[in-house]
Amino acid sequence: MFKLLKSKWFWLILVVVIGAFITMNQTSLPREDITLLEKAVHGIYTPLQNGINDIRGHWGYIGDLVSDKRTLQNRINELEKRNIQMAIDNQALREYEAQAKRLQELLEFKEDNLDIYDLQAAAIIARSPNNWNKTVLINVGANAGIQRGMPVIHPDGLVGRISSVSQNSAQVSLITDREMAVGVILQRSRETNGIVEGTGSSDVLRMNNIPYYSSIEENDRVITSGLSANYPKGIVVGTVSKVNREPSGLLLSAEVKPAVDFDRLEEVLVITNYHPPPVEDEETGE
Amino acid sequence: MYYFILALLPVLSIFLQSTIFHYFSIKGSIPDLVLIFVVFHAVFRGERRGTLYGVFCGLLEDLYMGRFIGVNVLAKGLTGYIMGKAQGNVFKENLWVGIITVVAGTFINSLVVAVLLMANGTVLDLEVVYSVLYQCLYNLLLAGPIYIWYYYYIYDGLMRAAGEN
Repeated sequence: MFKLLKSKWFWLILVVVIGAFITMNQTSLPREDITLLEKAVHGIYTPLQNGINDIRGHWGYIGDLVSDKRTLQNRINELEKRNIQMAIDNQALREYEAQAKRLQELLEFKEDNLDIYDLQAAAIIARSPNNWNKTVLINVGANAGIQRGMPVIHPDGLVGRISSVSQNSAQVSLITDREMAVGVILQRSRETNGIVEGTGSSDVLRMNNIPYYSSIEENDRVITSGLSANYPKGIVVGTVSKVNREPSGLLLSAEVKPAVDFDRLEEVLVITNYHPPPVEDEETGE
Repeated sequence: MYYFILALLPVLSIFLQSTIFHYFSIKGSIPDLVLIFVVFHAVFRGERRGTLYGVFCGLLEDLYMGRFIGVNVLAKGLTGYIMGKAQGNVFKENLWVGIITVVAGTFINSLVVAVLLMANGTVLDLEVVYSVLYQCLYNLLLAGPIYIWYYYYIYDGLMRAAGEN
């Protein structure tokens, strides 16, 4: 026992283990700013990752050049068909939008549609280097005004939140990460509030603690509720793929298929001017 | 030169794991090249050097991720120690040494990471087991060629330690 205490190796390992537990505890909660050392590490990797992303873009262009002309033509035809359908849907949606705005003005509702937000486009240059986290690195950082906590979206739906920012890059925690949770509501019925959590898998999210009397069913669209301070209201999160009854019988749980294809995600949009609605102080009523 | 390459290997590995390997993932799982190099270093250099190298590589990985800094430090440090201790008098010319140690190292590393994450409040489910199995398979595929390269460079090439013939 005393021989062990005299060993420098023992004390070194003890210091490392204690230091590791302390930093683990300190960094388990979200931090406002990352340390200089972490910024230095990101500073080394970001230019390399940007380079790989550029090369991949050029490679894709070269690939297209040598692709079969027929394949490319089929792809163009498919995209044109989709474009026409989207233009038709767009016309109808614009009518609904105009009608909704008229009704909102009549009822003096506050505007909180997505079109009032400023969006900063960003490319994904890297993903998490392990299987435990679901994060991506984007090529805009503090130099473009990105701050921690900003919501990140895609035209298909919600992607995640900015979790840390360096000078030229920012890390985005995806909603599929096990640590992430989003306040949601069903788009159809608008009566079922819930929280959707990531499972670590990029094609399944989990919605728990749904009341048994909820009218939730398969193919229901799930959107952000806006009740948490993290995300604006109305962003599509996914569609319900399966509804299960919990063993207690009082609650339901559901599997939600994300609207965004996280495996093929290449570009995202950062909402730079989202400010959560002020919380009413119960004492002063302000 | 030897120490420079030792330091460069995890840096390059993290870079490859965060970029190129995601295009070749198996069911969303990517290999852990950093772990492979920690295990091989422990096999060739013993438990103390293996532990220190594991701590260094784990720290690099944690600083990149920025969350739960210390998890990979402990996981890779412990993996390096166990692999270094277990290597004993095995014949390192045998390719199976590389493959078996990488498979064992993957399980030990994943178990330690899972326990530490759960201790910090993360909820894990059975999906983690599948993810670890796929990673193990991927590591196994890479272990053979990397071990051959590593063995050659340890004894004959750039990674020959100073003073050895």
